[in-house]
Amino acid sequence: MSEMWINMGPQHPMTHGLWNLRVRIEGEVILDVDPEMGYLHRGIEKISEDRHYNEVITLMDRTCYVAGLAWEHLYMLAAEEALHIRPPERAQYLRVLCEEFQRIASHLMWYAAFVQDIGLMSPFLYGMRDRDLILDLFQSYTGARMTYEYMRAGGVRNDLPPGFTDRARKVLDWLLPRFHEYDQLCLGSDIFHKRCDGLGKLSAEECIRHGVTGPMLRSAGRKRDLRRDRPYAVYDQLDFEVAVADGADVTGRYLVRMEEMRQSVRILYQVLDWLDRHPGPVMADQLPRWLGAPYAPVGREGYLLKRNYPKGVGFSAIEEPHGEALAYVVNEGGEHPYRVKFRSPVFANLAASRHYLVGYRVADIPPIMGSVDVCVGEVDR
Amino acid sequence: MASATLYSVSYDLSHLLLGGIASVFPDPLRAWISNGNVITGLAVLIFAALLLAASMLNTILLIWWERKLLGRFMDRRGAMHVGYAGLLQNFADGFKLFRKTTVQPREADALGFFTGPTAYMVTSMILFGVLPISSGWNSGALPLSLLLALAIFSFAPLFIFVSAWSSNNKYSLMGGMRSAAQMIAYEVPLLLAVVAVVIVAGSFDLTTIVYEQQNYWFWGPLFVALVVFVAGMLAEMERIPFDLPEAEAELVEGWNTEYGGMLFAFFMLADYLRSLIGSILVVLLFLGGWTMPSWVPSAATSFPLAGIFWFMLKTYLVFAVFVWIRAALPRVRTDQLLRVGWNRMIPLSLLAVFLAAALVTVKCVPVFGCLPSPGI
Amino acid sequence: MSDVTATEKPDENPILWVARPMATAARQFAKSLFRPSTIVYPYERLEDPKFRDRLDVASGKPFGVGQVWDNYRGVHALNIATCISCNLCAFSCPDVCIDMVTTAGSDPKHPKKCPQIDYGKCSYCGFCSDACPEGCLTMTTRYELSVSKRSDMIYPPERLFEVFRSKLPMNPIRLARPENEDAILLDPPLCIGCNACARDCPTQCITMLDVPKPEAKPGEKLPKRIWKEPVVNDSDCVRCGTCISVCPKECLFWGTRK
Repeated sequence: MSEMWINMGPQHPMTHGLWNLRVRIEGEVILDVDPEMGYLHRGIEKISEDRHYNEVITLMDRTCYVAGLAWEHLYMLAAEEALHIRPPERAQYLRVLCEEFQRIASHLMWYAAFVQDIGLMSPFLYGMRDRDLILDLFQSYTGARMTYEYMRAGGVRNDLPPGFTDRARKVLDWLLPRFHEYDQLCLGSDIFHKRCDGLGKLSAEECIRHGVTGPMLRSAGRKRDLRRDRPYAVYDQLDFEVAVADGADVTGRYLVRMEEMRQSVRILYQVLDWLDRHPGPVMADQLPRWLGAPYAPVGREGYLLKRNYPKGVGFSAIEEPHGEALAYVVNEGGEHPYRVKFRSPVFANLAASRHYLVGYRVADIPPIMGSVDVCVGEVDR
Repeated sequence: MASATLYSVSYDLSHLLLGGIASVFPDPLRAWISNGNVITGLAVLIFAALLLAASMLNTILLIWWERKLLGRFMDRRGAMHVGYAGLLQNFADGFKLFRKTTVQPREADALGFFTGPTAYMVTSMILFGVLPISSGWNSGALPLSLLLALAIFSFAPLFIFVSAWSSNNKYSLMGGMRSAAQMIAYEVPLLLAVVAVVIVAGSFDLTTIVYEQQNYWFWGPLFVALVVFVAGMLAEMERIPFDLPEAEAELVEGWNTEYGGMLFAFFMLADYLRSLIGSILVVLLFLGGWTMPSWVPSAATSFPLAGIFWFMLKTYLVFAVFVWIRAALPRVRTDQLLRVGWNRMIPLSLLAVFLAAALVTVKCVPVFGCLPSPGI
Repeated sequence: MSDVTATEKPDENPILWVARPMATAARQFAKSLFRPSTIVYPYERLEDPKFRDRLDVASGKPFGVGQVWDNYRGVHALNIATCISCNLCAFSCPDVCIDMVTTAGSDPKHPKKCPQIDYGKCSYCGFCSDACPEGCLTMTTRYELSVSKRSDMIYPPERLFEVFRSKLPMNPIRLARPENEDAILLDPPLCIGCNACARDCPTQCITMLDVPKPEAKPGEKLPKRIWKEPVVNDSDCVRCGTCISVCPKECLFWGTRK
């Protein structure tokens, strides 16, 4: 067969979203790839400039639809820095609770999609089933299963409902043996190793050169995790380890994500214990009126002119389930952020795809791209 | 009814029908209708219709069986809505597909595009005429029925490739290529595994092979052959872990990417027909067909249509194993599949042939006992 | 193969190529043969009392409902009787899907405006019910919204009132008001005493009090105005800002009351 280009996407079972991977192949061997993003661009950064600080979180849930709370956390950290607000400690613990549960949910979603990519049918449902338990927990305190709108500038919307921590512990107790089950279905299978070992190699140096972060970087043996290296919220008070593997391949990424879920469970037990012992306010007092809890923004010109807001710039970086996400919020006074900028980890991971796809086969594309954990919502924003 | 055969049932029905019709008409016409040739002709038609109905019904039941089993493997229930426990769901799906428009791509080659699926379906259905289902329930004692069945079975790659090529789609083309390569690679070990059975049974006639298993079923002594045969069958049926030609993660839907509506339904039905035939072949060659071991109480084997009952039960259980494999294993890669096929399966199947030859020479093995009439 | 900084994990290396996954799948099959984790949705519902207290995860029963279900943010319920038409819900809506429309049967001279929600746009963020000062706009657990016409997605106040009357569980979370809230302040020299703010105030917390008419000094012309000034009762005020928006002279503004 001579060389040809094939378009994998924008509607293709491999893409998990709207993007296009153009692949030049000869027979089954990949000669060149060309990722095309932008099919899902919604202009979230621009829309944010026209929205009240708290209203931006409705966009954050939709930026990455499998890790909404992590992105809410990211944005809120930056926005609070720009607005000179400091949330109470309990709110910070609640945010960590959200983020870690979201990390497990996101990784479970990744697991489900990834095993589907290599042709495993039933673990897909297992992953979704167990993720649903976490979504149930989210629903019990945020009120929604996917679009949470839970965090507010200065804290979180509401405290946990009674009995939540016990339910959450039950879920964690249920999850831990499940991880072992997942491993048996994947690592215990010779076919899995045949499919995934040594695939999609990207060394740590190359990762850093191309801005690839998250599990992909850690799978190359580099111990870098913003939760440990640049602690935000209350991560410096929590005890956990950074998951690392040395394969730099698909199996390595699998191992890293599995281990991260276990570490998240470990963090969550600590967070739940803390939350049980320390009741308190979940919203900062001394907020500007228009950030106070039940208030609607009143964006009338007459109002704006008479206010004199403090200005500021906020920057935050968190270890999102997919990698290192950064946010930058400029507050020029006024109710709306002057500029909001996000750095999506998956965008960089995807953009480097030429460096870990070329030379492999067409049949290797789904496992490799599956191991990247593509979330197009945050790529295109 | 215990002695009823497929032929007798067809002839009885033909007699009944034509007798009824003939009584209405005046004499010369009545005599012509009651003519033996006409009765035979109608009997053949009824025979074919029975086969068609049985194969279609079983295929659709098989899809239901897979959906339900797969559902339980996945911690869910499977189809529940249409009919009792979703029994009629596949009929609903079928009607939906039949009502849909068949879209033909502009650049597709119409001849291949339409004949491919049809021929694939037809060759799969012809197989049903060859396989015996119970004693007497077959289309005739063909001395080479096994060979004929496998010959027809291996037509499929040709038609898959024709339809893939004429779809004029890169994914279809790659799927067709893979399909052809895979089926040819696994044809050889499959046939060698069958040769092992043939050596032991001493016949190419499936009925004889079944009766040769009266002392013990062949799966025990010919276990290696069974493993090779099942692996080969999985590749021929294009089921996970060997479903590369339609690996949906990379090739969208493989060689039937461009097909929709009726033609897709043809592919789907033919796939499951082939799965059914694969399961039937495993039962016939290795699991004693419709016979049961002697320790089974005779009441369980002597009721009317007992042979068919046991046969279908075994077939569906064999298919359940295929579903189990599908639920638990990922898909392999083409080069790995081919490497396993040429490097592992062929030596294994040669080993199986050697073992079969040894078995025939020894005639009796300690655990199982002796062959009734050791072959060749 | 790869050294993972692992917590203690059981062995997971392949046995007999595929024996482990096959065994795991079979175990799952045996478990879900009797009790799959799913429910038969249109016939069984998670909010069904049958599932309400089932928190037994390990047995594979549906989990997570029970009392927590009430927090769900679904279709809104509107109590028209207590709605004060303050417009806060419409202001707070990020999707601009809330319109204030005249309710049927209200006095044509003083039409009562209540929110109408377009569920084609609504994102169920709950800002409106958070903003509602009277707690009359709440979110219920109703989540089934399929309609056959797009116009049916628009729920007028009457339809929201029907949801309210259906006595679905309401989202119980009520947010506390912050202590340092701003108040409506007056810039007295600008005021003309026109009564517009007091007339439109949804809570009637503004009263117009007389101010003494100053003596006109010789040569000075007194402003032409009504000698009244609004006084806001802060405890009744819901901070909707209607007074600010209707003030013709822009003499009302937000600020901290000394």
